[in-house]
Amino acid sequence: MPVRVLEEWFAGCGGCEVAILDMGEVLLDVLPELEFVYIPVLADSKFFGQDGNGKEMDYPHADVALISGSVRTKENWEAAKQIRARSKVLIALGSCAAFGGISALANLSTNREIYDAYYGASNNNDQAEIPELTTEEMLNKVYALNEVVEVDLILPGCSPTPASIAKAITALLKGEEFKLSEKSVCDTCPLERKSKWGLETKRPLASAQFTPGDYNKTRCLAEQGILCLGPVTRAGCAERLDGEAEVPGCIRAFMPCRGCWGPVHTYTTPMSNMLGALASIGADTSSIPDKKALFNRYIGAHGNLNNCGKG
Amino acid sequence: MSPELESLSKSCQPFIPTIIAFCCNWCSYGAADLAGVNRTKYPTNLRIVRVMCSGMVHADMVINSLLKGADGVMVLGCHMGDCHYINGNEKAARRAEVIQEMLPDYGLEAQRFRIEWISAAEGGKFAQTAQEMTDLITKLGPNPFKKKGEEPDAC
Repeated sequence: MPVRVLEEWFAGCGGCEVAILDMGEVLLDVLPELEFVYIPVLADSKFFGQDGNGKEMDYPHADVALISGSVRTKENWEAAKQIRARSKVLIALGSCAAFGGISALANLSTNREIYDAYYGASNNNDQAEIPELTTEEMLNKVYALNEVVEVDLILPGCSPTPASIAKAITALLKGEEFKLSEKSVCDTCPLERKSKWGLETKRPLASAQFTPGDYNKTRCLAEQGILCLGPVTRAGCAERLDGEAEVPGCIRAFMPCRGCWGPVHTYTTPMSNMLGALASIGADTSSIPDKKALFNRYIGAHGNLNNCGKG
Repeated sequence: MSPELESLSKSCQPFIPTIIAFCCNWCSYGAADLAGVNRTKYPTNLRIVRVMCSGMVHADMVINSLLKGADGVMVLGCHMGDCHYINGNEKAARRAEVIQEMLPDYGLEAQRFRIEWISAAEGGKFAQTAQEMTDLITKLGPNPFKKKGEEPDAC
């Protein structure tokens, strides 16, 4: 009997769903064993029917539920609770579901500020009226999935690599255990390391000096003075489908790591980890702009980002 | 006692802050010991954690204690130049700046963290620092992260 799979998206961009399709041939191998019972990215499903016959949210029962995106509205919250009750295994797919993700940057502002910025606050236009009936009721802040319901497995990444999704799905089908790496991105990075961190911090988007195509001859970006979140970010983005470890995603383009795989261990806080380490080697941390959003860019839920008591 | 009275008496209890003090083995822990031997009076709400050097107290340990509900954190080390490991307290001093820079980002007051240099001969200074910190935190009120287990609510 095929495994019944439910897929739902909350406050996210849909990139995680594209990552599932990106699995390529592996997807073809596992497809006969999967039965998608609910997947809005492929097939529309209306709880309330074409004629409005249905009265309430009704998710089908499933063996495996994948949820991407963060919990932003009251509807998301209710849906998460129902999916949890009706599925055996719940997977938080992507950084939004796992840690709040990009959408949790909204935790820096109050809901009122967000509405004001969205419906007005432009220099050229008058403030538009904020619609009250047509917008969904928002929660007081953005939550990660595991703040709201119990989650069995997280697959971090923005978006998760097809390799990690493929590994997790095949492990589930075989009944094996799936574990995320407990190394940092630096452990999988091939760039050349010579000394300590560059003590002079460059501007965030300053380009690095690099030898195109030759990763072993390019100096570590952090040693060049470019703030790279590699030391405090979980490894995994370097993994390829064919099993060969490659270069971490952003480093492949000679850009610094942005931290989308979240903290190395779920209990660590990258901001204090990184700043503490930088301070102890004597680097000038005061020149790092907007530390709060920079180090918590993908992990704004779990109380990592707040609006400092504005409401 | 009726439930109403009980809850009333609970809410009337004075706020006693929990303060974590990371004391270095060579100086401040000795100072705490001396304060005890001298029978110097100091608040009992201090939780002393003995570490080998103030330089090993990572920013993460301080932030984590505050996020888990400590009302205040102190790092106590040797005076500058007296470090048993040559320059551990210099590292601690640099980290202290960063920690104080970071605390407002978590929505906490910078005063909840304090770094102080206390030698093994300064039992009095240890007691005085503990008293000052307790007074300050009592004025600031409890740590906002103490409230746990809240359900998400609609705004």
